[in-house]
Amino acid sequence: MATDAHAEQSHGSPLGPREYIYITIGLALVTLVELALSYSDLSAGPLAAILIVLSAAKFIVVVALFMHLKFESRIFTQMFMFGLLLGSAILLALIALFWNDPSDALGGKELPPLEHHDEAHQLFLDTERLV
Amino acid sequence: MAAAEAAHGEHHASAGVDNRMLLMWIFLASECLFFGSLISTYLIFKGESLVRPLPEDVFDIPLTSASTFVLLMSSFTMVLAVYGAQHARPQMMKAALLATIIGGLVFLGFQVFEFKTFADEGLTLSTNQFGASFFVLTGFHGTHVGVGVLYLSSILFGSMRRNGLGKDGGTHVEIVGLYWHFVDIVWIVIFTVVYLIP
Repeated sequence: MATDAHAEQSHGSPLGPREYIYITIGLALVTLVELALSYSDLSAGPLAAILIVLSAAKFIVVVALFMHLKFESRIFTQMFMFGLLLGSAILLALIALFWNDPSDALGGKELPPLEHHDEAHQLFLDTERLV
Repeated sequence: MAAAEAAHGEHHASAGVDNRMLLMWIFLASECLFFGSLISTYLIFKGESLVRPLPEDVFDIPLTSASTFVLLMSSFTMVLAVYGAQHARPQMMKAALLATIIGGLVFLGFQVFEFKTFADEGLTLSTNQFGASFFVLTGFHGTHVGVGVLYLSSILFGSMRRNGLGKDGGTHVEIVGLYWHFVDIVWIVIFTVVYLIP
């Protein structure tokens, strides 16, 4: 009986097409805000923080409402959160272990513009020799 | 009870949830580890390139924004397909599934165009660290979209049979919907981390 009750519940998301339209418009608007911010004059640090927060908000909305996780059994949430947290931990651990200052790779030099391929290649060979 | 469930072809685990749904959620959890590793690899490698092109040389943000919008719309049509399947509206389900498939194909078209443009500008898998990590990350995501399109197509063709998807049709569509929305949320992260954050 409990199983039947759950089956009823899982197929009974309270959201309908109208709500889904509102959610989609909201997600599209957040995407537009992200796009506008990426063209703004904000410095890299605050910009990255704001973009990550907005992206996380979109992520949560899609998982909770489009994937119905909010209305489903808690075991699904636990399974997914386990993978998500472990994946996030791997991401942070790898970055903490291997992150380098990009300028280190070139010994503090700037890469030449794209049209100067030969110059770029020479810089690459010089750097190889240094290594 | 067990015999009755078997007779009706039920797929419920002792936890009281549908086995197939549980399996898909576990699969998606494992995919989080996969994409987490790829995204961190991209972040580590993108600033390590010793030759151009670099991201600022090749990225076309308006174009990628358009493909992001298409994928977002396909998530909307997917959720309508699930709604149609669960509320006995087969025509709505089929139309929404078809729209989702088209959205996925358009997204793949954008990606092929982007890859071709990058290759023309000198960025390939072996050009530099940025190229290697970028193509692997977005390529694997594109592969997931391709698999999703095939999965959606199989469900759509299944629904066109005389018996349709059977009495579990709603669950079948909901499971493919989970996969499709996951592909969408992975792109939400990739779009922000790869394209928008400087």
